[in-house]
Amino acid sequence: MARYLGGLLVLLFAASICGAVTIPGPVSDAHRSAASELFDGSFSSLEEAYEALRVFEILAIGNKPDVSATACKKVVENLGSSSPVKDLFYALKVNGILKCKVNADVFKDIAVRLKATVTDASTLVDMYYSIGSLVLIKDQVSDVDVLLADADGTFHSIKALSQSDGRWRYSSDNPESSTYAAGLALEALAGVISLASSEIDLSRVKTVKNDILKLFDSIEKYDDGTFYFDEKFVGGSEHQGSLSTTSSVVRGVIAFTSVISGKVNLPGDKVLGLAKFFLGIGIPGDAKDFFNQVESLALLENNRVSIPLVLSLPETVYSLSKRDQLKVRVNTVLGSASPPLTVKLVRAFRSDAKDSVIIESKELQYDKSNGIHVLEVFPDNVDVGTYVFVFEIVLHDSAGEKVFATGGQIHVPIYVTGIIEVSNAEIAVLDSDLGSVETQKKLDLAGNVVVELSANHLQKLRFSFQLKTPHGHAFKPHQAFFKLKHETKHEHIFVVGNTGKKFEIVLDFLGLVEKFYYLSGRYDIELTVGDAVMENSFLRPLGHVDLELPEAPEKAARLPPLPVDPYLRYGPKAEIAHIFRAPEKRPPQNLSLTFLSLILLPFIGFLVGLLRLGVNLKNFPSSAAPAAYAILFHLGIAAVLLLYVLFWLKLDLFTTLKTVGLLGVFLMFVGHRILSHLASTSSKLKSA
Amino acid sequence: MSKLIFVFLAFIPLLCTSFSPERPSDRRVLVLLDDFAVKSSHSLFFNSLKSRGFDLHFHLADDPKIALQRYGQYLYDALILFSPTIERFGGSVDAAAILDFVDSGHDLIVAADSNASDLIREIAVECGVDFDEDPASMVVDHSGYAVSATEGDHTLIASDDFIKSDVILGSKKIEAPVLFQGIGHSLNPTNSLVLKALSASPSAFSANPKSKLTSPPSLTGSSISFVSVIQARNNARILISGSLSMFSNRFFRSGVQKAGSPTKHEKSGNEQFFTELSKWVFHERGHLKAVHMQHHKVGEANEPAIYRINDDLEFSVEIFEWSGTSWEPYVADDVQVQFYMMSPYVLKTLSTNGKGRYFTSFKVPDVYGVFQFKVEYEKLGYTSLSLSKQIPVRPFRHNEYERFIPAAYPYYGAAFSMMAGFFIFTAVHLYSK
Repeated sequence: MARYLGGLLVLLFAASICGAVTIPGPVSDAHRSAASELFDGSFSSLEEAYEALRVFEILAIGNKPDVSATACKKVVENLGSSSPVKDLFYALKVNGILKCKVNADVFKDIAVRLKATVTDASTLVDMYYSIGSLVLIKDQVSDVDVLLADADGTFHSIKALSQSDGRWRYSSDNPESSTYAAGLALEALAGVISLASSEIDLSRVKTVKNDILKLFDSIEKYDDGTFYFDEKFVGGSEHQGSLSTTSSVVRGVIAFTSVISGKVNLPGDKVLGLAKFFLGIGIPGDAKDFFNQVESLALLENNRVSIPLVLSLPETVYSLSKRDQLKVRVNTVLGSASPPLTVKLVRAFRSDAKDSVIIESKELQYDKSNGIHVLEVFPDNVDVGTYVFVFEIVLHDSAGEKVFATGGQIHVPIYVTGIIEVSNAEIAVLDSDLGSVETQKKLDLAGNVVVELSANHLQKLRFSFQLKTPHGHAFKPHQAFFKLKHETKHEHIFVVGNTGKKFEIVLDFLGLVEKFYYLSGRYDIELTVGDAVMENSFLRPLGHVDLELPEAPEKAARLPPLPVDPYLRYGPKAEIAHIFRAPEKRPPQNLSLTFLSLILLPFIGFLVGLLRLGVNLKNFPSSAAPAAYAILFHLGIAAVLLLYVLFWLKLDLFTTLKTVGLLGVFLMFVGHRILSHLASTSSKLKSA
Repeated sequence: MSKLIFVFLAFIPLLCTSFSPERPSDRRVLVLLDDFAVKSSHSLFFNSLKSRGFDLHFHLADDPKIALQRYGQYLYDALILFSPTIERFGGSVDAAAILDFVDSGHDLIVAADSNASDLIREIAVECGVDFDEDPASMVVDHSGYAVSATEGDHTLIASDDFIKSDVILGSKKIEAPVLFQGIGHSLNPTNSLVLKALSASPSAFSANPKSKLTSPPSLTGSSISFVSVIQARNNARILISGSLSMFSNRFFRSGVQKAGSPTKHEKSGNEQFFTELSKWVFHERGHLKAVHMQHHKVGEANEPAIYRINDDLEFSVEIFEWSGTSWEPYVADDVQVQFYMMSPYVLKTLSTNGKGRYFTSFKVPDVYGVFQFKVEYEKLGYTSLSLSKQIPVRPFRHNEYERFIPAAYPYYGAAFSMMAGFFIFTAVHLYSK
């Protein structure tokens, strides 16, 4: 758990990527605007109402939502009825801020009830609420008797729940000890002391003091000097985060130390570390967390143990070109002015070389009008780079050292940036074996000139340039990349190394053919130079080189796949229209008609021929019966022919065959009759 | 008893507010944290989700009680992993369980950070995202950093290289750059589903800002992605970010000025970026459905069981987009239909009436077989639509061919003149004297 929290806080501090410490600044206006957003005047319980009101009170927010009417109504409701102690407690707390009109008799009734609860209570939480409520009544109304008769006994019963490591149990039948409970217990004990009708035994107070010291032994710590309390036992019914645990302890310890006569000797750096913890959280987005943070900071702001002073720098990045001033601000945690003091710059050194001290013991000037301490100008030997500045707060009033926690020497990482001069850029193609220069071109890296080069795999490419700091020293940037980019978007990046002042890279293409996947063609050249302290970091195209590389052998490594462009991957496809089969070619209609008329010609010829021959129907039988048979026979033939036509037009084969069968029988019969009749007449004619 | 049943029945609609095809937005979201402090330090992000109706369940990532499913039913519709350092989840949850969760169509948001654990990296790799292997590395950009008086190492980056997609990032342009501080990742080139939602500038690189560079960093330039999104084939959506602090209140509220740019923005683009992006991830936008796929012959209203080759047909389909609360008509000009058998025979872009209806008409090809109407719609950021409807196509029946072709008139003439001649001949032959 603590490990994860560690990770988280590293994240919250965010700026502390460099090993040295960045101190979060005191509570600022950002907190105030966040508070107005977070506590928008709607609350479901008096506890929430109290948290909102208390935050507004501490941060002195002017345009707070007016909730007094609704809140007071709830307060009166809760005080009147026999509501649980917790509700009473928060009702009294809200009343303490809003000063609602409550009948004094009500307080008397409550006080009697609470006193009974104190003596009966078996759990720590009940005691905490009832004693807390009594203390609140004592503060709000003067004429109510709230003093505890058996303060010693109550004190003892709370103390009985304490553990040897300074933590407390919630109740006697609950073996789990908790840091959160320790905070509650200390606050309750403080209440008992202030409510005691007679003095509490000093030896008892002393053991509690020891408990506090033991509790502070179990404090957790980060590398940057942040201290916090965390609940070790997680299996309990209600899990308390480190923020609520720490703020509970702070509330308890400060309440306790403010009521006892002596002083508790807590180390100042731990108190400062707690302040750092609360400030390091930033602006919580949760109302409860926000309240815990702000209230704990308010308690730390004004306590009897030691008051943390926060040294913060509005800026840690300084530009040599703009001649910035180094400013340091010292405030209390809530951002109010510090006592008279001097900020001393003990020393400053390069973060990569601890021995290279560039500034030593220098006092910063105090600018009264802005309330900041200023180092007017950087000494001349401060060049661009990353430094660690070590500050110390020296209080003018020596007695104040016991009241204030200043945190000793404070390490702050400082970036000093400047403009780096780029010069002597040269790009050349060399012949490999002789080393003679084939083509050499000078480049002005500040301009936009680009070069066009061509080379083959037996040659080398040399590129060199120089970097100088404003003080004329050689500068080594964090990022000096030389990039070759092929037309197919395959990139090759080389780090430009330096020898002394000069940066130089020599690309021997013979050794690189495999790395280049034997890809000949145009390579664009890009140079990227950048550093955290370089104000003119740049990415600049230098031109291009046409490379002629040998053909790839069969075993050569395949080109790695390139990512697909998502914009090209999607989108509509090309439309497809079906190509229909072309209809068969046909002769023109006129031709067919012509042929039709030609085809009909023989028939016409046949008819003409018959007329010419002088055909007649004289042989047609004259008697009635054969004539009828003849007519029927020819009608039958006509019917068969007609059937053929119908077959062609619409009928199917089955109907046609059926009809043909019937017609055939009929034709046989009438045909036989007429043909035999004709045969007999013709034989009669012959014989006659 | 009957009253009890009635009450239970009355509550069923409330119990069933979870993911369904009819309401594709997520409802129940499990948030796994390294520490509960994240709940407070990232509250603006969580509050924006809550105000949109999501039901967030916060748990510590190592809580032994967490479970994604019970009795084979998933308990959540989406998962937010804000636990970059977790080495092992509590309970039954592990990388495989999370991938199964995604495979069953649920959404995922993963925030890593420098020092991201192997577990988080493993989940990311499965999604096609490779984080820089050096655990101490961060993305550094000496040209595109965010100007800050207190952060001088240029790891706080202001990026405005967004994915160009209105559906993913909303139609309102994000004016202010987005702040980023964390670990960079690259996309697996073989994974075509993963997209860079926010990418680095060409001058960026990923390395340990404190140590000297001796060899070229593995990730450089605009191939570094800060935030990537994935839409899986089952329309599950994943967001992977290399920074947890991007989501924090501090970054949401912070002002931003990009190095080299004179404009100073009051507020960084983070809030807008992640609000819009989370709308997309949780299916409040870009989720399409297609209904009423219909086709019929021109001039008819009913859908035939079979088409004949060369028929003229009309095709229509209705497409709607989920807006988070209701289905709105989807308007686009690139929806296409395919008439498909082994390969598309016809591929036509549909016209729309602007109210969700898409339609076209075309002639059935003169090839018979079993065809399909196919609408395969894939657009950047939208869920893909894949609909198909099978329809057979037959050739002409024997009696559907053309009769009385003029070219055949000579044959007809020959036959009938023959028949007429025969009839006359019989009469003449029998009765002529």
